[in-house]
Amino acid sequence: MPEPILTIKNLTKKYGENVIFQHLDLTVNEGDTIVIIGPSGTGKSTLLRCINLLTRPDEGQIWLDDMEITAKDCDEDQVRQHIGMVFQNFLLFNHLTALGNVKLGLSKVKKMSDEAATEKAMHELARVGLADRADHYPGQLSGGQQQRVGIARALAMDPRIMLFDEPTSALDPELIGEVLEVMRQLALDGMTMLVVTHEMGFAREVADRIVFMEKGYIVEEGSPDEMFNHPKFPRTREFLWKITELYGKKETDTN
Amino acid sequence: MDFGQFISYIASGTVYTVGVTLIALPSGLLIGTILALLYVYGGKAAARVMNLYSTVFRGIPPLVLLFILFFAVTRGINLSAFWAGSLSLGIVSSAYQMEIVRGALLSVSGDQLMAARAIGMSRLQSIRYVVLPQAVRLAIPPWSNEAAIVIKDSSLVYALGVPEILRRAQLIGASSQRYLLAYLSAAVIYFLLVFGTTRLLAVLEKKLTIPSNP
Amino acid sequence: MKKRFLLLVALVLVAAMLVGCTTETDSVLDKINQAGKVVVGTSADYPPYEYIDEAGNKTGFDIDLMTEIAKRMGVELEWVDMPFDSLVAAVDSGKLDMSISCFNYDEERDKTVDFSEAYYTTEDAFVVTSAFAGTITVPEDAANYKVGVQSGTVQDGWLTDNLVTPGLLPEASLSRYERVDQAALDLANGRIDVLMGDYVPIQALVAQNPDLQVVYHGELSTGPINIVLPDGDAALKAEVDRIIKELQAEGFIDQLAVKYFSE
Repeated sequence: MPEPILTIKNLTKKYGENVIFQHLDLTVNEGDTIVIIGPSGTGKSTLLRCINLLTRPDEGQIWLDDMEITAKDCDEDQVRQHIGMVFQNFLLFNHLTALGNVKLGLSKVKKMSDEAATEKAMHELARVGLADRADHYPGQLSGGQQQRVGIARALAMDPRIMLFDEPTSALDPELIGEVLEVMRQLALDGMTMLVVTHEMGFAREVADRIVFMEKGYIVEEGSPDEMFNHPKFPRTREFLWKITELYGKKETDTN
Repeated sequence: MDFGQFISYIASGTVYTVGVTLIALPSGLLIGTILALLYVYGGKAAARVMNLYSTVFRGIPPLVLLFILFFAVTRGINLSAFWAGSLSLGIVSSAYQMEIVRGALLSVSGDQLMAARAIGMSRLQSIRYVVLPQAVRLAIPPWSNEAAIVIKDSSLVYALGVPEILRRAQLIGASSQRYLLAYLSAAVIYFLLVFGTTRLLAVLEKKLTIPSNP
Repeated sequence: MKKRFLLLVALVLVAAMLVGCTTETDSVLDKINQAGKVVVGTSADYPPYEYIDEAGNKTGFDIDLMTEIAKRMGVELEWVDMPFDSLVAAVDSGKLDMSISCFNYDEERDKTVDFSEAYYTTEDAFVVTSAFAGTITVPEDAANYKVGVQSGTVQDGWLTDNLVTPGLLPEASLSRYERVDQAALDLANGRIDVLMGDYVPIQALVAQNPDLQVVYHGELSTGPINIVLPDGDAALKAEVDRIIKELQAEGFIDQLAVKYFSE
């Protein structure tokens, strides 16, 4: 029986009267790669932000391993260093080099010595294939390179789980492949990942489970085979058909 | 009185002009930055108080505040004209500098703050290591403008009898009847001070620019 | 919450005012004697009463007089230069022990400060350029021209009360200047036709500018000139008055007038 790393129970998020999602349950097991798909505006990004407490849910609980992170006395800053986050728009620290971006959390949060932090950061940059760009500023890097630095920055904290919020949506088509390749490698290395994306090729090949969300509900979840070949609900079939039409070609192009 | 004596009499007031500026500008920056941080990150109540502070002190002419501080509030306290003037200008400037820093903080904040929090940095650390270093760079051009204003406003302390450039120009103009020359000399000195300062800050801004490909 | 905060601010301000306004019952004279020096304000931009010489030192009729008064009080003299408009407030707030700057007695000023005995009496004058084609035989004739005056002076008060208020001189025709030399510049430029001022400094102005001439002088607004003293300080006033009378009796002040107002 695999150990659940992340357990979400009955989670609800509203902005005023506007319900983003409601009564959501989700479990992520150690080493799993879960891909969340669904039309935009269905609360996928908000769900990720709730998980690392950048947004507070209105109801429900989230556990990271055995700790309830939605508990009132929970130390947010402590929780966040165990949850890596990769943003759609990279959000690198613009005033720091690639190395500086990856090092900052190590020096300031983990309080590592400068030497140790540099060593660890260089290791993470090498992992995403950017050791030779360590002294470049974000403005000097391509979008794909920036996103890989973003991944290295999150990895450096040795998180229990990595959250990816549409990591390739802001990229030019020719830069998507390098980012997906890094993510694929991470999954193979056994990193636990929760990925919001429209890249169906990635979902089909890498995901252990695919979750289809629509209008604030989880419509259906299952293995890639179940979801792509035998979806239970017409809505799932319809969405997957549309999205493959839209993104499928691009995926074949880049591979 | 020869021309050299004439000019050097006025120019010797530069010590006071620079002195007042060197007190008013940094004290305004210190107060302004602290208040801007409270404004942006201190919650609604703090924001309201800071907004009031900003409105009040930007609404009062510096000269009026100067008189209030020197003649009314510090009645009986031995606060020199120089210090009363410097502090008044510092307070007025702090309100403007608060708005400058606040604007810079707001335009950096948001996403950058979120990214910093996401790697487990505390709010304070995120502001200190991520938001402020970027905000400082954004603040330099408007701050350069404010520095020029404070240098020029420093002339207001003449009203309290501080023998700075403007007051010296008046005195020597009156005694020699060459007031046009006196005021022109003062204008040139002020111009050189402002020009030098803004050039210096422009160099600093260039030096701090974050490299990026066009 | 907000209201409570505002209340707190108000209380702090009131407290600050109360502390600030604590009246000193001791005479300023005791303070002067204790410190061994008297702090005197003047606006050294009004030759020949008070101005700076080539070395940048204060000189003039009032300066010499005050130097002698301090000497006879047996204390050091510390000058504080301040624009004329700030002097009364500075004496009132205790920043200055007294002020000598060609002050005329004025009812408004008398409400906040005291005046010493007069140490000299001056006249007012109207001055024009050689381009002036009109005539001023009585002071009221000035109402037919564009007039300039130093703002806040007794001449300003006389023009306002006697020409502007009765409707003889339109408000727009009266230009008020911070300083006499600025008015003199506008007179030379033709922006004003007539400049009204204190007769003694006007004479000095005319001596420097051959194009200017005095068309009328007489004792209109200007009466005697006095030293401005802190309000209600009888001991200090008695001491200053005693020395002024002494100096008048000795002919010291007349000698100063000859030295500075070479008529």
